[in-house]
Amino acid sequence: MSNSAIPSSTIRMEGVSVAEFSWEVRSPLDRALVAGRHGAHGDAGVSLTEIRNFDLVQVMARRGKTSEMAKVAKARFGVTAPVTPQTAPTADATLIWSGPDQFFVLSKGGKHTMVALGQAFASCASLSDQSHARVLISISGAKARTMLAKLSSIDLHPAVLGVGAAAATSMDHTSVTLWRGGDRGEQAVFNLLVFATFAESLWHTMLDSAAEYGVTIGHSGELT
Amino acid sequence: MMAAAQTHRLTSGGLVDRSAPLSFRFDGQTFSGFKGDTLASALVANGVKLVGRSFKYHRPRGILTAGSEEPNALVELRSGARREPNTKATTAELYEGLEAASQNRWPSLNFDVMSVNQLFAPIFVAGFYYKTFMWPAKFWEAIYEPAIRRAAGLGRAAVASDPDLYDKAWAHCDVVIAGSGPAGLAAALAAGRSGARVILCEEDFVPGGRLLADGGTIDGLPAAEWLARTLAELASLPDVRIMTRTTLFGVYDGGTYGAIERVNDHLPSPPEHEVRQRLWRIVAKRCVVAAGALERPIVFAGNDTPGVMMASAMRSYIGRYAATPAKRIALFTNNEDGWRTVETALGAGLQVAAVIDARAEISPAHRSLASKSGFPVLHGSVSSVDGGKAGVRTLSVSLTGGSRAEVEADGLAVSGGWNPTVGLTSYHRGRPKWRDDIAAFVPDGAPPGMVAAGAANGAFGLGACLREGFEAGAAAARDAGRSGSAGSMPVADDEAYSLTPLWHVAGKGKAFVDQQHDVTASDIELAQREGFESVEHLKRYTTLGMATDQGKTSNVAGLAIMAAVAGRSIPETGTTIYRPPYVPVAIGAFAGHHRDENFHATRLTPSHHWAAEQGAIFVDTGLWKRAQWYPRAGEKDWLESVTREVKAVRSGVGFCDVSTLGKIDVHGPDAGAFLDRVYINTFSNLAVGKARYGLMLREDGFVYDDGTTSRLAEDHYFLTTTTAKAGLVMQHLEFCRQVLFPELDVQLTSVSDQWAQFSIAGPKTRDLLKEIVDPAEDLSNEGFPFMGVREVSLRGGIKARLFRISFSGEMAFEISVPARHGEALVRNLMIAGAPFGVTPYGTETLGVMRIEKGHVAGPELSGTTTAADLGLGKMMSTKKDFIGRVMAGREALVAANRQVVVGIKPTDRARRLRSGAHIIPKGLTPGPDNDQGYITSVCFSPTLDQWIGLALVERGRERIGEIVHAHDPLRGEDYDVELCNPVFYDPDGGRQRG
Amino acid sequence: MRITCPFCGERELGEFTYLGDAKPVRPAADAGEDAVYDYVYLRDNIAGVMSENWYHGGGCRAWLKVTRNTLTHEISAVEPAAGAGAAKVGA
Repeated sequence: MSNSAIPSSTIRMEGVSVAEFSWEVRSPLDRALVAGRHGAHGDAGVSLTEIRNFDLVQVMARRGKTSEMAKVAKARFGVTAPVTPQTAPTADATLIWSGPDQFFVLSKGGKHTMVALGQAFASCASLSDQSHARVLISISGAKARTMLAKLSSIDLHPAVLGVGAAAATSMDHTSVTLWRGGDRGEQAVFNLLVFATFAESLWHTMLDSAAEYGVTIGHSGELT
Repeated sequence: MMAAAQTHRLTSGGLVDRSAPLSFRFDGQTFSGFKGDTLASALVANGVKLVGRSFKYHRPRGILTAGSEEPNALVELRSGARREPNTKATTAELYEGLEAASQNRWPSLNFDVMSVNQLFAPIFVAGFYYKTFMWPAKFWEAIYEPAIRRAAGLGRAAVASDPDLYDKAWAHCDVVIAGSGPAGLAAALAAGRSGARVILCEEDFVPGGRLLADGGTIDGLPAAEWLARTLAELASLPDVRIMTRTTLFGVYDGGTYGAIERVNDHLPSPPEHEVRQRLWRIVAKRCVVAAGALERPIVFAGNDTPGVMMASAMRSYIGRYAATPAKRIALFTNNEDGWRTVETALGAGLQVAAVIDARAEISPAHRSLASKSGFPVLHGSVSSVDGGKAGVRTLSVSLTGGSRAEVEADGLAVSGGWNPTVGLTSYHRGRPKWRDDIAAFVPDGAPPGMVAAGAANGAFGLGACLREGFEAGAAAARDAGRSGSAGSMPVADDEAYSLTPLWHVAGKGKAFVDQQHDVTASDIELAQREGFESVEHLKRYTTLGMATDQGKTSNVAGLAIMAAVAGRSIPETGTTIYRPPYVPVAIGAFAGHHRDENFHATRLTPSHHWAAEQGAIFVDTGLWKRAQWYPRAGEKDWLESVTREVKAVRSGVGFCDVSTLGKIDVHGPDAGAFLDRVYINTFSNLAVGKARYGLMLREDGFVYDDGTTSRLAEDHYFLTTTTAKAGLVMQHLEFCRQVLFPELDVQLTSVSDQWAQFSIAGPKTRDLLKEIVDPAEDLSNEGFPFMGVREVSLRGGIKARLFRISFSGEMAFEISVPARHGEALVRNLMIAGAPFGVTPYGTETLGVMRIEKGHVAGPELSGTTTAADLGLGKMMSTKKDFIGRVMAGREALVAANRQVVVGIKPTDRARRLRSGAHIIPKGLTPGPDNDQGYITSVCFSPTLDQWIGLALVERGRERIGEIVHAHDPLRGEDYDVELCNPVFYDPDGGRQRG
Repeated sequence: MRITCPFCGERELGEFTYLGDAKPVRPAADAGEDAVYDYVYLRDNIAGVMSENWYHGGGCRAWLKVTRNTLTHEISAVEPAAGAGAAKVGA
């Protein structure tokens, strides 16, 4: 049985002891997202903004505990948690329907983390941290709806997907959560939560879909 | 080269823009046309009659129609990578610099060597291929096929990859309308005014349909004026969208429609970032098919001579394009509508040589038109045309009563009546019904939500088209829940039609039914005589209607001729089945964005970009890109790199990104009970802070998936799956939770993307971890025993989960951190591990180490193995029910002679093994009777310094030490191997527990 | 084809996965091999209206019982599985 030596190219650094390590966070779109312009020149028809560093917790009711979960949510957030594909914005969080008897709590600033919510919902819901499992992309601009129609099979007409409406759906065979935020001026804003490991692939597909309209690309730490 | 003058262009009229001349080339010659022309109308305007050679006989062919039904005027458009064969000149929009070439001729259109095929015509009859090339079979590839391919065929596809972009999009509406003629526009008006969301698809580049060529009076206004007013009104309705250059080509279940938009086909190449074509999936509550009707030819000898043209097409060229297909025309008609071409021609100042009308009676108005304009009306039929590649010269006419006449003309307009476009309404296996009064098939019902209106429904008059369209549009809006007022209906008179059916005029010479596939009337008669009596057989035997035009101008005439020969009626003969797409759709449009590197979505691991920086070689596993190995300078091949990686792990420490494993949070008071039912072993008794290997079966008793599942809290388990089955296991578990065991209080959430997870393996794993984990954490065997799980603090502040599990057989941990820290973790592992020679390793090394350790993976979890086959039978609990328990106990699944996992080593140490080789007992002949299993996984083991493998072998575990024969017919290899313990490395497990 | 998910609304086929006949019921633990064999393998080949299990995996991850005509693809009813969402059976 051979136990061959460590390859000679390895340099042993005796006595190296690193007291502390840096644990910087890096978005899955860190490489793919190049802030600035993409595609056709002139007025950009589409604006793509990645929202970074948010807290996202999925809250799923336990069997027979939907009304209790609703009460806890109402007490904590001051709004009724969505029971249909809708969102419920509060001062410091957005509750987003993510399936039957479940919703996401999207927030910033550490007020609604797993630990904080876990205590509140302990008796009635199962919580799962999704803060690192998703990438959040905000899509707006005059051509946002046109561009999304290339990716999304659902009806994006303003009378069908109104402000605050949400959908658990797929884009490019990838599960996403889509919802309409508040309009920016005259323009609709679409928010998209996509699985982190799919994000770069979907990002490139979005850029390709939007290129003909001209794209403004950026990232932000602020929830819209 | 100077462009030739447009010798056949009228000085005024038409919808071409004379202020925008365009120059183009056809077969190398330069011509000019105008914006608003098609390639066909521009060729007509330049007096070009000969545009192609036919498929089989290489006969000279001209332009027959002015639309997408064209069988003859097919060209190769553009050049190089953008060369597109079989493009219809009749729909190709003219643009500056357009280049087109005729097809199927050599060396030139005017002198085509292959036209000698006509001399051999008797052998090219129906069923020619079937009869002629019967034997010997080997001649097919060597002789027949190449010869046929040279002699027959259409255009040449581009060899280079298509440089253009295509995409796909979804649209939603209440009412989708196919066609923007009078019926379609009236439908759009009614539906749009009612408040419906409307999409109107028009395959032409200008809306209007027959109004563009035929004019008329609507609501007291000239058609053009009404059209402009209507389009303006539709444009003012916010939810009405008119899509020109868009063909609605198919209908699918649930009110989904396919449409192809030729976004930039009218330009030499698409503008930067723009697509050439876009495939639309339109979801509509209702559909109005206002696709109009197609004029049908009459079959007679020489009916394919250049200059013979459909009467309505001739009107289009003269009326819409101000281009004159001939100076002196004749009309051959069996109906009143054909006469409109005479009126149009006279209006444009052309000579009319004669009208040959097959009917007994013609209207007094037309009789007086003839006498006033000084042309004869001949009662009878055109029996043959004399002319050649230069076009029509003389017509022979069989007069009613038996005598003959000759007519000198350079163009012949033919009208055999009109066939409603019944494709869309028939695509769900609908069969159209026959209407005697118009001698045509009309829709007989339609897919749910769809209705035909206007000419597509057999209503040919302008007034009827407007009425039917308007009513259909209003009803569709109402059905979609829109209650606004449709306003007033546009009104027009109905023209007379009065048709006497005539399909085929007997005569000498080739009379073509399907001009694109060169199917003649006599081919149909021959097929009938030979017993091909069903229309579906006729179609396949003669290839009638099987060309790129799908028989739009030929099918009904073919049926009529067949019916006449068989002595049956046309409805008795029936139609073939209609199938989408209505027009050919480029594969590129169906693929859209999904080509090349975008063929499918990809998933990237948290360490992907770091691994790329290291020069890792990636392998596609499902959607994932995984680092396969990390080559270093000077290493000559993958084997050298992998061997180094394995040795480094076994003697020091290495790490591998295992984030691709499926990870599922299993929550709830009944989480343990739930896992007991889905795994063969028990999880409800697993202590918090412990991990256990679990195996799942399918309900049929075979192994489904495996993985390690940990208990993080009383009501929280963390389950892992294999990479390959992650999505399927999630689906399966949700099925168990929602359908099979709804009584259990358990919740499932995928957390695959939440965690970056790395396996750290090797005897120096603890040394490395001590550098990175908070010093207060006890990693000793006592403080963190094998299969222990705990959250730990890492130096610098973040929390991680540590799992003491091993796939490699080494002392190992898996560490996971929230995914956005994944790249930081991998960089920190490199820093912390540097003193210990830490080595990143890829999936190859992972695979080698698991084979050395005898762990099963994908090749052994093949869907045909039981837990016992894998040596894991003892895991199967007898104290509880679980998925697959009962079926796993079936006789054949517990038989003593099952093929079970065993290790193999070649008797010749230098020998390379390959998976897939069959295991045959020594001394027996390889073959199915003696086949006792096969090699599933192999690798070169750096640890043993030889190739080793795993195999599924009959009674394998009882035969350790036996020499058997490996037979690999695929690679032509035969060699002996020894059956051995599958755990090649550290069989008592001391290393991973140490 | 389009399926109206009771939770999400009407969605295109691509968001769903088909499993098969929803009629067979998993036998009790002591039902014996024959009953399980029937459950696993025996299926009617229905030309007409059929009750089927579909998974809205590309959407809300609910399992659905879909009543579909296999001849026309007409869908006449869609119900959530007993355990979709948090409802407790019988509660």
